[in-house]
Amino acid sequence: MSLLNGTAPGAAQNEFRPKLAWATVVVIAAFLALFGKLFWLQLVRGDEYRARAEDNYLKEVRIPADRGLILDRNHVVLVDQRPSFDVTLTANYCGRQCEEVLDRLAVTLDMTLEEHAAALGRLAEARGKKNARFKPFVVRVDVRREDVDVLEAQYEDLPGVDVQPVPHRSYRYSALGGHLIGYMNEVGPKEMETLNAELKKGASEQPPYSLGDYVGRRGLEKRYERTLRGVDGVHFVPVDSKGRALDVATVGPEEKRYVPSRPGQNLVLSIDWRLQEFAEKTFPATAGVVAAMDAKTGFLLALVDRPAPDPNKMSGRITAAELRSIYEDPLQPDLFRAIQQHYHPGSTYKAVTAIAALEEGIFRPNTTVRCPGYYTMGSHRWRCDLESGHGAVDFEHALGASCDVFFYAAGAQLGADAIAKWSRALGLGRPTGFDVAGEVPGVIPDVAWHDAKVLGGYQKGMAVNLAIGQGDVNVTPMQQLVMYGALATGTLWRPQVVLRVEDADGRVLKTFEPEARGRLELQPGTRETVLKGLLAAVNQPFGTGWWSRLQETTMAGKTGTAQVMALGAQRLKASELPYFERDHAWFAAFAPAADPKIVVVVLNEHSGFGASNAAPTASALVKKYLELEAQDAAAARPAGVASGP
Amino acid sequence: MALDLSLSSSAQRGTFAQFPGHVAWFVLSICAIGVWNLASASRNTGSPGATPIWKLQLLFMVVFALLALAISLVDYRNYQLFAWVFYAAVILLLVYVALKGKRVMGARRWIGLGPFNLQPSELAKLAVTLALARWLHDDAERRKEPYGMFGLAIPLAIILVPAAIVKFQPDLGTALIVAGTGFTMLLFAPVRWRTIAILGTVAVIGATVGYPHLKPYQKKRIETFVNPEGDVRGAGYHATQSMIAVGSGEGTGKGWGQGTQNNMRFLPEQHTDFVFSVWAEEHGFLGCLILLALYLALIASAIDIAAGARDRFGHYAAIGVAGMLFWQVFINVGMVIGLLPVVGVTLPLMSYGGSSVMTIFLALGLLANVSMRRFVN
Repeated sequence: MSLLNGTAPGAAQNEFRPKLAWATVVVIAAFLALFGKLFWLQLVRGDEYRARAEDNYLKEVRIPADRGLILDRNHVVLVDQRPSFDVTLTANYCGRQCEEVLDRLAVTLDMTLEEHAAALGRLAEARGKKNARFKPFVVRVDVRREDVDVLEAQYEDLPGVDVQPVPHRSYRYSALGGHLIGYMNEVGPKEMETLNAELKKGASEQPPYSLGDYVGRRGLEKRYERTLRGVDGVHFVPVDSKGRALDVATVGPEEKRYVPSRPGQNLVLSIDWRLQEFAEKTFPATAGVVAAMDAKTGFLLALVDRPAPDPNKMSGRITAAELRSIYEDPLQPDLFRAIQQHYHPGSTYKAVTAIAALEEGIFRPNTTVRCPGYYTMGSHRWRCDLESGHGAVDFEHALGASCDVFFYAAGAQLGADAIAKWSRALGLGRPTGFDVAGEVPGVIPDVAWHDAKVLGGYQKGMAVNLAIGQGDVNVTPMQQLVMYGALATGTLWRPQVVLRVEDADGRVLKTFEPEARGRLELQPGTRETVLKGLLAAVNQPFGTGWWSRLQETTMAGKTGTAQVMALGAQRLKASELPYFERDHAWFAAFAPAADPKIVVVVLNEHSGFGASNAAPTASALVKKYLELEAQDAAAARPAGVASGP
Repeated sequence: MALDLSLSSSAQRGTFAQFPGHVAWFVLSICAIGVWNLASASRNTGSPGATPIWKLQLLFMVVFALLALAISLVDYRNYQLFAWVFYAAVILLLVYVALKGKRVMGARRWIGLGPFNLQPSELAKLAVTLALARWLHDDAERRKEPYGMFGLAIPLAIILVPAAIVKFQPDLGTALIVAGTGFTMLLFAPVRWRTIAILGTVAVIGATVGYPHLKPYQKKRIETFVNPEGDVRGAGYHATQSMIAVGSGEGTGKGWGQGTQNNMRFLPEQHTDFVFSVWAEEHGFLGCLILLALYLALIASAIDIAAGARDRFGHYAAIGVAGMLFWQVFINVGMVIGLLPVVGVTLPLMSYGGSSVMTIFLALGLLANVSMRRFVN
């Protein structure tokens, strides 16, 4: 058959040979191209692709580091961590059902409309961005344990919903010490960039902040953010292409994929929490400050600052309405009064006038002034606190009984500049250097100040007002503390509150030393004269603070009543005035007078007289301090005197 | 014309003595590697309790290898007789599939056959090989001149009719292999150089004009090929993940079953079109070298068999088989390693699939047949 046998064997071969040779060359060339590309991918760039393969299947899960604790001087924990059960939703895993899931969550968690709307907003945001779909967003923070159980029971009906225990800051004493300690909340996008730039510049080991992280917002939490913040760890969890965690033994040993977090450093404060709690209990004020300082070092022992918002709420657990009520509260709970509010010092300022009068040679230590109950200059008349008049008073009596006329007379002769000079010498008119939050500097008005700020410029009579701590003189409670510290010991301390930085195991990393910002240099006799007056104020029956005297020790101090409103023709009792028109009560003191150990300043806003509304707290605090000191000494003695005779 | 089944016993023995043993070894080695690799690639797929696909693949291989042996026993000139019938039958099947086939993921490619699905486009490769070999064989008797433009009309039609139907299933990959196999065979026919040049030019222009008519996903694949990192999560995802798998295999690979890209299901179609990436990830450059060397040896053997073929039909048939193998290996591996755009082409004997295994074994049976009858009259 021609079809089947038409070709002689091998007849075709010669015809095809050259083409087959070419074909072989082409095939070999093509395979060489494949080998070449494989060589490039696997041998030249293999490391890079291996790394990318690991990036693929190892999901980086951050292990948040424990933030450093805040402790008092005896290691009483003031701030630490607790787990917060946060409900999150991952848009990618609930898909089209997300709205339905959110509705169900709203019922289970009893969400407000506002909360529900916020969650829907975050859902829309998560869907909008490609990578955000895999990132869980928070629906509700800090749900109750019962809710956790309920949610777990409904797990099947709630795709994409997770309950994650997140370490959350726990402020154990809520609002107590709130302004000093501060609080935390979520970092803002702009702020995050700044913080991360700083971290990078400082070559910090800490990983950059990411959205949703908390950052110290006020007080020590903000000031010592870097110290308190630890170094987050990381866990590489093997996941498949759908993001599901897999239990795969082949991806290497667990410990190799786990970098533990390192906790932040602890702050040890100079605050004695026993004293703080005592002060909080004893202080009757609605608003005000109680500050106690170690006279020998400038370290604070207690700092009550009222009112303060609860940091536990402020740390991301507050509704918009609650936050608004805080900002609209006329008591201004967000104000750190100790350093951020100006007050007239009132009669506590008479110590300054006294020093100025002695140092400038206006008065001598034995000078007496007759007080008829008023003081006149030209046509103007100033009233003394005691309308009937004190009669002839010297320094001791004038300071002790707080006679205004004595100081009116001194002020009139001193003038504003001399008073300002000695105010500055006592640390007033500039920030104290209390390095926790922003301070207001106070106002010490000299002649130039009045010329610049007051209509009509400086008038001689202004110094008369200044002499008793009225007029335009303004101080902060912290400045008062520093000033009375200087009266007590001659040293102007920089007030500090952090004693040490320690690591998690209690090893000391950094110790803060006392820092003197100046000495009060006075002529012989000046200090003694003023001290006598301050002692009389508490320890003489005519003294304004006589009812607050202590049996246990000799306290020196000065009461003050700072006028808030110009006085009318008739004097009214504090309780007869509206709250915001009442005077502020001051008391500043130190003890023991012979060798001062503690300085206390009490400011009770809008409470009336210093003698009755500020001095009792200060004296109770001094007493408590001495008790605690004795108690601690007794506790330490058996060990300390073991080798004694 | 009778079927020549009654060869003498001595001739039979002589024929068997010519059985290309080396080809069998290459094929069996690739099969062994393929099944082993599939066992790793399919570890995390399929429903629990179902027969693992590597076992099914092994079953396909045994069945179709035996079929190939049977095919090699019958002188290929019998197949030459039925080439047109086979071709016509395959065209009918393709038309049937296009109209009534089972739709899977937007494409009509399959005919349901009980538990299995037959993919007639796979058979189209064989049909074109046989029909074109027959036509070129017959035409060589009559023709004194090399082929010009008009002379190529019929062979081009033989190639392009099934290729076009397959293309519109749509199955661009298989269509390319059908056309590639056919054109490769044509290159061995006596065609004027001028004609080849003109056809080449027309093809280039056609591709340029035709590009806008490609499906969006096909365009995207070509764009992705040019810049695979441009859209890592989108169309570039497959290309990128595949390259990560291959590259991360490095020198000797991560070991069988240890491929993370494989285990964590980052690889698309990891048991079919992208099966090579599993092999590359787990066995590295060395493994790739061995596997590609086996393919190269197989293709070289096919060329060698073509060179030694007794007649034009045998020659063209062997060239067709060599071309089919070459294009599938080159396009598939090239696609997996980022040398070529992503098209759906299976890797012979490595990719899972009954139709694919069947076609390759039928082709290999034909190849062995040509080899065994080099000296037979």
